[in-house]
Amino acid sequence: MFDPPILSRHDARICVAGGGGSGAALAYDLALRGFSVLLVEKGEFTSGTTGRHHGQLHSGARYAVGDRAIARECMEETLVLRRIAPQALEYNGGIFAAIRDDEADYAPAFISACLEAGIPAREIPVSEARVSEPALNPRTKRTVWVPDGTIDAFRLAASFLAAAAALGAELRAFTELVGIETGGGRIRGGTLRGPDGREERVSFDGLVSATGAWAGRVGSLAGLDIPVTPAPGTMVAVRGRLSDLVLSRLAPPGDGDILVPQRGLSVIGSTQRRADSPEGILPTKEEIEFLLSRGDELVPGFSSAPFHAAWAAARPLAGRADSDAEGRAISRDFAVLDHGDEGAAGMFTLIGGKATVLRAMARKAADEVCAFLGDPEPCRTAEYPLPSWRSLDGYLEGSGATGRGAGSRRPEGGAA
Amino acid sequence: MIDTIIRIRDGGGFVEFPGSFPEDATVLDALETLRARAEADVPGAGVEGPGTGRGGAPTVRVPHYRHSCHHGSCGTCGAVVNGLPALMCLTRLADLAAPRPREPGGPPAGPVRGTSGELVVVLEPLRRGTVISGIAARPTAALAGIPEEYSYLRSSEDAGRAPPPADPTRAAAPGGLSAGSAGPGRVRFEACIECGLCSSACPVTTPFIGPAALAAVNRQREKSPDSAERMLEVAGKPDGAPACERHLHCSRVCPQAVYPGKHIQLLRNALAGRAQ
Ligand SMILES: Cc1cc2nc3c(=O)[nH]c(=O)nc-3n(C[C@H](O)[C@H](O)[C@H](O)COP(=O)(O)OP(=O)(O)OC[C@H]3O[C@@H](n4cnc5c(N)ncnc54)[C@H](O)[C@@H]3O)c2cc1C
Ligand code: SF4
Ligand code: FES
Repeated sequence: MFDPPILSRHDARICVAGGGGSGAALAYDLALRGFSVLLVEKGEFTSGTTGRHHGQLHSGARYAVGDRAIARECMEETLVLRRIAPQALEYNGGIFAAIRDDEADYAPAFISACLEAGIPAREIPVSEARVSEPALNPRTKRTVWVPDGTIDAFRLAASFLAAAAALGAELRAFTELVGIETGGGRIRGGTLRGPDGREERVSFDGLVSATGAWAGRVGSLAGLDIPVTPAPGTMVAVRGRLSDLVLSRLAPPGDGDILVPQRGLSVIGSTQRRADSPEGILPTKEEIEFLLSRGDELVPGFSSAPFHAAWAAARPLAGRADSDAEGRAISRDFAVLDHGDEGAAGMFTLIGGKATVLRAMARKAADEVCAFLGDPEPCRTAEYPLPSWRSLDGYLEGSGATGRGAGSRRPEGGAA
Repeated sequence: MIDTIIRIRDGGGFVEFPGSFPEDATVLDALETLRARAEADVPGAGVEGPGTGRGGAPTVRVPHYRHSCHHGSCGTCGAVVNGLPALMCLTRLADLAAPRPREPGGPPAGPVRGTSGELVVVLEPLRRGTVISGIAARPTAALAGIPEEYSYLRSSEDAGRAPPPADPTRAAAPGGLSAGSAGPGRVRFEACIECGLCSSACPVTTPFIGPAALAAVNRQREKSPDSAERMLEVAGKPDGAPACERHLHCSRVCPQAVYPGKHIQLLRNALAGRAQ
């Protein structure tokens, strides 16, 4: 049963704007540290980028050559998530495959960077990789094993929301933050628009905007200039579970170079472009064709498997749409922006990162909130297995999580 | 492009949006497009021929709907689409332009057409769901009977493949299949995405934990010998397998080929075997 002790209670009320993975993990972290938490999400929870990501549990191998620190954090966080949220993960490991000659030459640098980042990557014979995953391209030249896996995007975030709710956090879906109030240089409260369209003024002592690609718009409610450009990426799913292990190209991060299995599907992704708005982004025909052909390079015949779905999700790219900043690198790390110097003390923006590191992102933001309030409290979210996402609905309907329905029982020996 | 009228339940009435969408657009794509247009900050970028409310008053607000994964994996976007429970993210407008049953178990019928031949798409919240607003409904009751000890993981079909390469991180994070299930081999999620379409289609009116819950009960029974007896107890209660009237609409609408009706039959067989 999920029943972690709350070590001390604080009067401060913190509003978290955004019900994606980052906001979900933050609401849980703050609630576990004893704060009163109100999370608002303008649509359904995880209806932003979170629900639509590629679903890769990143060991960090993909980023190791470029940035050891990001890679190390991914590795640490995958181990934590595998302990606290095993039911939301298909953990089977992953294989990086070199298909072209230059990719084969990349192997030594790739492996040593992984090892430096604490990722136990190792070269395995191609023959071993192919008896394990026979779908892999027979022309594969070298193969490296890494501890990657699959995330159920919705259920991982919903497990954090369920944990937050169990600790008394107030979670409101279909509720948009439409106004931010400051006074005397600090955050005082805001205006919420609820599911029925009615607006309500609420007071809070701190505000964290975990609104991803929407962070610029939310910042502007407080008169802040937070340059963020939505950068959609597309994914394509075909029917059939072509592998159990995540298959990636042994090459610097590029487009269409990861194939993630999930339930009965195989998902290839992704791409990157820029958009004016994070709303209503749909994949283009060109992206879909490109991804199907990239899928064929990893797993011949990928594009002839029955087509299932194509969709797109927006990364928050630092900078403006017309700037030349190269996006792929920037959006991989995360940042906590403190708006104290801009007349909004107590307001922070938590942005960037990966779904894999949602807990670490939340820890950093919660640390900043604690420092601002002068209430130091340690982060303890790595310690307790999360409750099931299924308990969330009970909290949202005000009936608590347990004892509903004739078939509900306490775990005996525990599945989760 | 398909000329379309999307008619969305909002409380006691409907709100209507005309629009033209690509043939391969899904119902969810169409809603997302309508909502983006309506929410765009650009003046004049409202919905083409603004949606009209009950009194004919212009409105651009698209009623609330749930969505997350956009590929049939999260289970949030269920709605009754032209009479049939379906996932909006996997239902293409082209599917609705073809003959299709207008109610669970009904015969296929031609598409619904507007006065100028437009494809009419009527969206209503899932039956038995808890409606939040518009067509956003959580299938809470349909899932409430899923036992807490039900594991969402199962072993993956290994199809004669060699075991995955050795994994030095297992000691730090055991994870994977839970105790009582088959060893730490290849894992995957259960097929059921907990969307509640089955319960929405189910005509049973007596107290019933429903098809999704019974499918989970049977899966847990099959996977874990330790749980089997408890699962049969749940299945044998009056609101368990005995409440099922074998309409089989659940199996017809399930987007994941879970065939809950088959699981209920397997539970009946096991209960009968136990009674002997
Ligand atoms: C194409 C693509 C593929 C990816 N693949 C992976 C992967 O395989 N593995 C991985 O680990 N990560 C992946 N990521 C990264 C991952 O998706 C993100 O890091 C993560 O989902 C970000 O979560 P978030 O909560 O910060 O943002 P979001 O999920 O976007 O949450 C922000 C929320 O704020 C809400 N909001 C906006 N404005 C308001 C307001 N005014 N009031 C209230 N709420 C508001 C939005 O509706 C939204 O739900 C991928 C990203 C992309 C784009
Ligand atoms: S059994 Fe099928 S229809 Fe019912 S909840 Fe599961 S996936 Fe949905
Ligand atoms: S949006 Fe996830 S199932 Fe349709």
